[in-house]
Order: sequence, then structure tokens, then C-alpha cells
Amino acid sequence: MNCLIFGYGYMGKIRYQVLRRHPEVQSITVVDPAMDPSTAGLDGVLLPPTEKIPWERFDAAFVCTPNNVTAELCVEGLRHCGHVFCEKPPGRNWQDFCRISEAATALPRHTLVFGFNHRLHPCVQAARALIGKGGLGDVLYIKGTYGKSGGARYRDGWRNKREISGGGILLDQGVHMLDIFQFFVGQLTVVDAVLTDSFWDCGVEDNAFVLLRTRDGVPVFLHSSATLWKHTFRIEIGCVDGYLIASGFLSQTGSYGREQLVVGRREFEDEALALGNPREEIIHFDRDDSWDKEVSDFIAAIKDGRPANHGTLDEARSVMEIIRDVYALAERRDIKGKS
Amino acid sequence: MRSIQTTHTFPLSSVKPLDGLLRYRGYCLEQTRKTLKIRRRRREQSPVGDASLDPFGYVDGLEYLRCPESGSFFLAQLPSAEDLAHLLADVSQYRKSPLAFHADIATLRSDSVYLPKLEWIQSTLRLQGLDRPRLMEVVTPPSDFTPLLQGSGLFAEVRTVGEMDLIMTYNASGQLDKNKDANGSEKGAGVEAAVLLESLDRVDDPRTLLHAVSESLREGGLIFVTALVCSGFDIAVLGLRNLYIYPPDRANCFSLKGIELLLMRAGFALLEVSTPGVLDVEIIQAHLRHDPAIPLSTFERQLVDADEETRAAFQSFLQERRLSSFARIVGRKK
Repeated sequence: MNCLIFGYGYMGKIRYQVLRRHPEVQSITVVDPAMDPSTAGLDGVLLPPTEKIPWERFDAAFVCTPNNVTAELCVEGLRHCGHVFCEKPPGRNWQDFCRISEAATALPRHTLVFGFNHRLHPCVQAARALIGKGGLGDVLYIKGTYGKSGGARYRDGWRNKREISGGGILLDQGVHMLDIFQFFVGQLTVVDAVLTDSFWDCGVEDNAFVLLRTRDGVPVFLHSSATLWKHTFRIEIGCVDGYLIASGFLSQTGSYGREQLVVGRREFEDEALALGNPREEIIHFDRDDSWDKEVSDFIAAIKDGRPANHGTLDEARSVMEIIRDVYALAERRDIKGKS
Repeated sequence: MRSIQTTHTFPLSSVKPLDGLLRYRGYCLEQTRKTLKIRRRRREQSPVGDASLDPFGYVDGLEYLRCPESGSFFLAQLPSAEDLAHLLADVSQYRKSPLAFHADIATLRSDSVYLPKLEWIQSTLRLQGLDRPRLMEVVTPPSDFTPLLQGSGLFAEVRTVGEMDLIMTYNASGQLDKNKDANGSEKGAGVEAAVLLESLDRVDDPRTLLHAVSESLREGGLIFVTALVCSGFDIAVLGLRNLYIYPPDRANCFSLKGIELLLMRAGFALLEVSTPGVLDVEIIQAHLRHDPAIPLSTFERQLVDADEETRAAFQSFLQERRLSSFARIVGRKK
């Protein structure tokens, strides 16, 4: 398989490495007008910006660009290759997403996958295996916190320029958590939301508090933040017969801490133990193969002519509907939450 | 790969009280010496790799050798495979007799030793999406675990296979039907899971045992292994003074690295490597009560004499960092 990567930033570099070690991949070409071919260290890989893209040579395109060109490149990729892997978010907004969706729907034999790799992280996979019939029973509630500290150059990044990104921390990191929630409990709808731009003052939200619920009324709460001075990933899942707490996250920098899942079982019938202090197991995870898994699934889907298992158009739509509704709510209020 | 910590605690007295153990240990040592008088062979190479073994020390006059690659240590003199099979069967029967401590605390041992292992297997099967596999229990019968496995409803079938029988059949398979695995089944018709509770600690040829188990497993099948590991705190501190080290039950004492290498070299990918032991500190305390002259460093003494909260936090640290002496491993046949 011959692959084309648009964008050689943080995500483009990850995809390049993943594709390099995939046995089905024969060649990789990178397109990034911002890269200097003489210093990029990508001899024979980087397509000169003056050259027209030879689409006929490629079987699949990976879109790893800033959000403002995502929709356009996805549509182009679908038309020329028919198989596109697109980083999250699926466009800057609902309109971008609908453009992508229309292009995909017009091609019956396409493969379109969005990069929601967090659902393939080991703590999330283990949590999903344990809820419901996995032993802990039906979900009673979910609370998720995902946030970062920004950093000295936070304001300068394209992610905080509305015209490029389309939104703030909710669209950047929060989409992953929304995808995970729906991976656990299915379609969610927005009950209420408060967005604030209280510290970074970039004109996009630096904190999002979103209350959601399932069709059956299970409440789900998200706090997505760019002012968590300690990098945090944490999901609490209350179930009928126990609870799960996923925290920490294997990342390249390790700044989210050791990835782990606490598994507790409801024990109030057993008074041998102190009430409210049940026995717990803590599963620590040492390896994240989520990047490889999602790309392997994408490539296998193309090869086998079947739908992908993760990051599908329908799953992306569910997430973007929530984003659309939260931003619509916020528009009706002052973003700083003063009214 | 993952590792698992637990907040489930139980006292040493509920699983292997030192006072009770001494009588059982004495019987094991005596029977081992008798067996070695019949026939014996000297171990030259480490079961982990092919490294020559270094001198290490003695347990009641029986020599142990150390693997320079992994730090694991092994009984130097071994009985023949047939004699070891009889010896293991003998001590296994003795454990069921009223003379051993096991019978007195059978219910406590079931709650603290076997039920958590069953829960471990159950949750691993869930995580791996394996529903009602066929299970091979590798053990020298009788085993208290067998009825729990059979009654759990977790498995489509439970086959109990003698660990030494498996090794001897495998070693003889050159003369036997090449289409059968070591368990006598058609090759490829194997089980989806195998459990070896401390089997690798006592057989004469752990490497062959793993190859035999591997042949009996389907591709992608799971192996569940528990072992005492010498890289764990109480064994690392007490060395061969640790009274829980004795043949034949502990003819082999792998380090965690040693057992990982052994499994990987036998063709297993490691899914879980944990040391969820809860008794390291308490074991050292029990040894000090038994023999106050055991030399410990000031820091080690501070730890074992510390208040309960400090000891619990330290034991939790040992679990989290894979430094306890009870190891639990899950592998998948590649």
C-alpha cells in the first residue's frame, strides 16, 4: 500500500512512524508546505511544494493538518484515493463535518476513519470489557476529566485561533473523551454546558463543563480544560456492582502519569470490611499500541473491503453533534459565563 | 503489558503459617534426601538459558546454584524424572493429610489462595474476550484448585494433567505419534488456556514443561503462571535463610526476569506480569520471631519494625513495582 501523509507536525510524525513499521505499507510520501526539504530529513519522502500531487500513485491518504484544511483534504482524498484516515476533530465544525460526510456517502466503496485512538488505550479497553456483562453491571454514571496546562506558548498555537481550529479545548482534547463516553454507553445528548475562557483569553474556551445523558437517562459529565496545571486524564465509571477509575495516560512525554485502572467491587453486604472501603485491584499498563491498532484496523478494512471497527463516520457524527449542540448553547450565553 | 496490584489482604497464618510450615518443610527435605539417594544428576546449565550455573549456597545441606543471567537459583542435584514424579506425588498427598498444616486451614486457604486466583483467571478471560475456554490444569494431583475450577462454570472443560507426566511424555515424543501433542490430543485440537500454579518452581525441566504446554495450547491460547520469585523482597532479603525455600516445592526459584525470559523463549508473548504478594514484610517478621539473630540492615529492620500504615504502604509499593516475591504472569502463545 502506498500512503500519502498531509502534514508533518506532531501527528504526522507519529503516523509516519506507525506506517513505516506496518508490513502492508510499501511507500510513504509526505506533503507539508511548511517543511524545508533540505532540513526535514525526509529525503525521497517529502513531496516538493511546487510539485502536483500524483494521486494515482496512492492507495490511502492520512490527513494530519490543522483543522482549517481538514475537510478540504478529506474530500480530495476520498475523491482521488477513496481511502482516508483523518486526525480528530472531524472538521472545525458541523458544516466541515457535513462536507466530509457528503463526500464519503457519494462513494459507496470508500474507507474513512477518524483518529480517535484514545478508545484503544489499554485502560479504556479494559474498562469497556469490565462494564455491563463484563462483571460490573449496568453503568450508573460517568465522570471524565481531561486537561492540560497550556504552557508559555499556548496562545500562539493554531489550536487556539478560532479561524483555524474552529474551537477550543473541547474540540481539541474533549472530543476524545466524548468518543470514549459513547464507546462505553452509546449515543449521548447534551443536557447543559458551561464554557469559559477565563485564563488564556484566546477567544475560544479554555474550560468546558458538559452534562450529557444517554437515551436511558444515565448521566455523564465532562470537564475538558486547558487550565489543569497538572496534566490529567481521569474517568470514573459507577456501575451497579462496582466502579472503575481510569487515570494517567501513556503518552510520548509521560506527563499524564502511569496509565492505570482501579477496579472496585460493591461490597456493602460484606461487613467484614470497613463500609465504603472495598477491596480494589489496580491494573497498571506499560504499553500503548493504540496508534498501531487504529492504523492496522484502517488498512485491514481497506484490504478486506469491510467497514472499520473504530473511528467510523457514524461515531464521528455522534461526537460532532455534541460539539455542535454545546457550541450552540454557549453562543446563546456569554462564553465567560457571566450571563 | 500490564501488572496488577490488589488491596486484598490476609494474614500469613491463613495461608502458610511459619510454625506449621516447618513440619511440612521437614518432611519435604527428608523425602527429597531419600529420593536423591536412589539416583541423582547434577544440573549444569540454567533452565532460563544455557548459562553455566554458579555456586550459591545450601538449604539444610542441599546445594543450590545461581543463574548468572537472571539471578534465579536452582537445586543442584536432581532425582531422575520418574523419581521426582513420585516425590512430588508423595508430598502432594502429604499436604492432604492431617499431619500437614494445609488441612487445618483449608477453608482459609481456599478464600485467600485459590478464590483470588480464580477471579484473576476470570477477569483475564473477560479482558481477552475468551468465553468458556477449555482449560488444562498442570499440577501434581491431588489439587485443591481442581474442584474450584471444575465448579466455576468458567470453562467448557477442565483437564488436569500431571506436570512431570507432561515433561516425560514430551521428552519421549520422538518415539510417539508426531501428530499428538504432549497431552495425547491431536495437534491443533488443543486447549485455549492452561494454568500452572507454582509448577515451574518444582519440576526438573521447566523449559520442557513450557514447550509441552505450548504444544497443547491453540495458537493465541493463554497460559496462567504463578511462582515465588527470588527478586521479591522477602527472598531477596533472607536469601537461602528463607524457610519457604526448600525442595521439592522450591527446587527452582526464578527471579521475575528469569521467569519472563523463560516464558518468552518458549514462545509466549507476555500480557501480564504482576507481583501482587501481600506477605513479604510479614514473612520477614515471622522469620525474626523464629530466629532473632537473622542479620538485617538497619534500613530493613526499620521497615519491618515500622507501624502498620508504613508496612502496608511499603507492601503496596512492592506490588506496584513488581518487587514482591509472589508473581503472577499471563502469556499468550504466539
